[in-house]
Amino acid sequence: MRAAFRRIDAIARKEFIHIRRDPRMLIAVLVMPVAQLLLFAYAISFDVSDVPTVLLDADMTAASREYLASYERSDFFDVVGRVDSPAEIDDVFDRSEARIAVWVAPGFARALERGEDGKVSVLIDGSEPNSAQLGQTYALALNQQLDREIAVEWVRAKGQDPEAMGGIGANVRTWYNPERRSADFLVPGLMVVIIMIVTIQQTAVTLVKERDQGTFEQVVVSPIRRSELMVGKVLPWMAIAFVDIIAITLIAITLFGIPLRGDVFTLGVGALFFVLGCLSIGLMISARASSAEVANLTGLMVGFLPGFMLSGFAFPLNSIPRFLQVISYLFPGRYMVTITRSVFLKGASIDVLWPQVAALALYATVGLALATVLYARRAR
Amino acid sequence: MKWSRVRLLVWKELLQLRRDRMLLPLVFIQPVLMLLMFGYVVGSDVSNIPTALVDQDRTSLSREFARAFENTGYFDIKAHPAEETAVRPLMDANSIEMAIMIPPGFQAGMERGEQVPVQIIVDGVDSKTASVASGYASRVIADFTQRRIELTGLMPKTAGIDARVRVLFNPSLRSVNAMIPSLVAYILMLASMALMAQAVVRERERGTLEQMFVTPITRGEYLFGKLTPYVILSVAQIAAVMAVGVLWFRVPFNGSVLVIGAGMALFMFTTLGQGLIISTLARNRHQAQQLAMFLLIPTIVLSGFIFPIESMPRAIVPLTYLIPLRYAVIVLRSNFMKGSDFVALWPEFAAMAAFAIAIFGFAVARFQKRLSD
Repeated sequence: MRAAFRRIDAIARKEFIHIRRDPRMLIAVLVMPVAQLLLFAYAISFDVSDVPTVLLDADMTAASREYLASYERSDFFDVVGRVDSPAEIDDVFDRSEARIAVWVAPGFARALERGEDGKVSVLIDGSEPNSAQLGQTYALALNQQLDREIAVEWVRAKGQDPEAMGGIGANVRTWYNPERRSADFLVPGLMVVIIMIVTIQQTAVTLVKERDQGTFEQVVVSPIRRSELMVGKVLPWMAIAFVDIIAITLIAITLFGIPLRGDVFTLGVGALFFVLGCLSIGLMISARASSAEVANLTGLMVGFLPGFMLSGFAFPLNSIPRFLQVISYLFPGRYMVTITRSVFLKGASIDVLWPQVAALALYATVGLALATVLYARRAR
Repeated sequence: MKWSRVRLLVWKELLQLRRDRMLLPLVFIQPVLMLLMFGYVVGSDVSNIPTALVDQDRTSLSREFARAFENTGYFDIKAHPAEETAVRPLMDANSIEMAIMIPPGFQAGMERGEQVPVQIIVDGVDSKTASVASGYASRVIADFTQRRIELTGLMPKTAGIDARVRVLFNPSLRSVNAMIPSLVAYILMLASMALMAQAVVRERERGTLEQMFVTPITRGEYLFGKLTPYVILSVAQIAAVMAVGVLWFRVPFNGSVLVIGAGMALFMFTTLGQGLIISTLARNRHQAQQLAMFLLIPTIVLSGFIFPIESMPRAIVPLTYLIPLRYAVIVLRSNFMKGSDFVALWPEFAAMAAFAIAIFGFAVARFQKRLSD
C-alpha cells in the first residue's frame, strides 16, 4: 500500500513538473478560465432592450402622433427614424437597420372618433428570433394597454363607469432572482462549463502525448499499475480544477455580487465528483484516440458540445427532444449546473440535492474504472 | 508556381488526412453533431415549462382558465398543490419553474365585473425561461380576458386599437431558421482554422518541414498545397450542413448561392489566415489547439451567432465589430431568410474583404518569415 502511494505520488509529481515547465499551459489552465468567465458573464445576456424601430405615420394627426409617442417612451423600442412609405420599411429591414416597424394606417384618428378601432400594423423582422419573440410580446402588451386606455377614455367621455369592465389583473413575481439578472443565472452555470472544457481538454492529450514522446513504453515497463497511473494523472488536474473553482467562486461573489446562499460543503462535494467525472471523460478519450489531432478534436467536441449545450447553463432543456434529454443525462454537466445554481441562488443543501450528488459520484466511479480498463486494453 | 508540384502536395495532404483512421470520420461526425445540438438545443424555443397550478377557486371558469394555459403548449402542468405554501418546496427542488395561483372567488369576481388578481410566480434562476414564461403568461391572460369580454358582452364596443403584429421573414419565429445559416460559417471556421493549424504544426513537430524545403517546392506552392485540402474539406462540410439544414430542419432558403458563396469565400480567407497565424505561434499541436480555443471562445460569444448582440451591454458592442464571424453571420442570415443581395449587404462584404486582406496578408507574411528563419 505504501509503495502504491509512493508510485502515485511520483506520477503526480511528474505531471506537475510537466505543467509547471510549460508557461503557456499554465496560462491556459489558470488565466483562460477567468478570462472566459469575464467575457461570458459580461457579454451574454438574454434581456433584450433598445430594439431599433422605425415609425411610419400615414395618418399625421394628433391621435396618431400620441400613439406613436408611446413607442418612443418605451425602453424596449429604440426609435431610430421615421419613414414615409411601406417600400422604405423593406429597405430598412433589408439593410438590418431596424428590426421593428410600426405603421399607423390613414384614418386612425377618424376611426377613434367614431368609436371604432384605429388600424395599426407592427412589422417584426423574424430573422433574429430571440428579439423578435420578445418584440412580439412587448408590442402586443403595449397595444393592449393603449387599447384599454383609449377604451376607458371613450367610455368615460360617454358618461359611463369604466370600473364596470371586469378582467384579470396578472401579478407576476420572480423568485430567487427578482431582478432577473442574467449574471446571477449565468455565472454559476459558467463555472461548470469552464471547468468541463479545461479539464477534458487537458487530460484528453496526456496519454497520447506520453505515447507520442515515446515515454509510454517506459511507463509500461515500470512497476506502476494502470490504476495507480490513472490516479497519478488525475491528482494534479484535480488540484488545478479546484484552484479554478475557488477563483471563479470568489470572482462571482465579489465582482458580480452573486449571493452564495447555500451550503458550501454540498458545493465542494459536488465539485469533487464532477471534476473526477470530467477527468475520466478526458482519460477515456486519451485512451482511445489514434493521434493527438483526434484527441484534441474529440476533447474540444465533447468538452464543448455537451458541456455548453446540454448542461442547461444557457439553453433551457425542457423543450429539447427526448433523445437529447437522454444524452444530457450521460454527461456530468447537467447535474453540476443544477447543484451550483441551487446552492448559489436557492440556498439549497444536500437534503434537496442528494440525487444530483449521488449521480455525479456514480459517474466518477464508473468513468474512472472505464478509463482504466480502456487504457489497459490499449497498452496491450 | 508549378501545378504538378502543388497537385502532389495536395495529394500528400489528403493521403495524410485519410491515413489517420479516426480523424476523417471525426471531421464529418463533428458537423452533424453540431447541427443536432444547435438545431435542437440552441434552436429550440422555450416550451414545456414545468408548472404548478394552485386552483383555490375550483369552478368551471378557473378550470377553463387553467386549460387556456395548457392549450398553448408552453406550459406543462405537473403539480396541483392545494396551498400556496406548497409551491416553495417544489421550486426549491427544481421540479417546477412556474406557478399559477387562482384565488378563491375567481369566477364570482369575474362575473361581477371586478378585477381579479391572479398570481404568477416564475423561477428567476433561469432568466431566459423566466422572461419568456412571464411573457407567455401575460399573453394567455390578456387573450382570456378579451375572449371573456367578447363572449359575455359585458363591455360595449368602444374605441380602441386594432393592432396586427406580423413577423416577417421567419413568421413561425423558429430559432432553427436563424441558427443553421450561421452554423455554416462557424463550422467553416472550425475546420479551416483549427484543423489546418494542426496540420502545419505537425510537420514542424516531426521535422518534415525542413525536408519539404530541401525539395524544389517554393514557399508559395507549399502554402497553396497546404491550404487547398482544407478548403475542399470546408466546402464539403458547408454543403453537408446546408443540405441537412434545408432538408431535415426545413430551414427555408430564400437567398442565392452566389451571395453565400462569395461571402463564405471571403470569410474563409480570414479563418485560414487565423489558422496560419496560429501555426506560426504554436510549437506543438497541443498549443495550436489551445490557441484555437483562445480565438474560438470570444468568436462564439461576440459574433451574435448564439447570443444576440442587441442584448449585450453597450460597452461590449464595439468589440463585436472586430470579429469577422459577425459579418458572416449577418450575410448568411439575411440572405437565407430575407434574400438580401450584394447591394443591401455591401457594408458586411466590405468589412469581410478588409479583414480577409489584413488577416490573410499578415498571416502569409509571417508564415514566410517564420519559414525562412
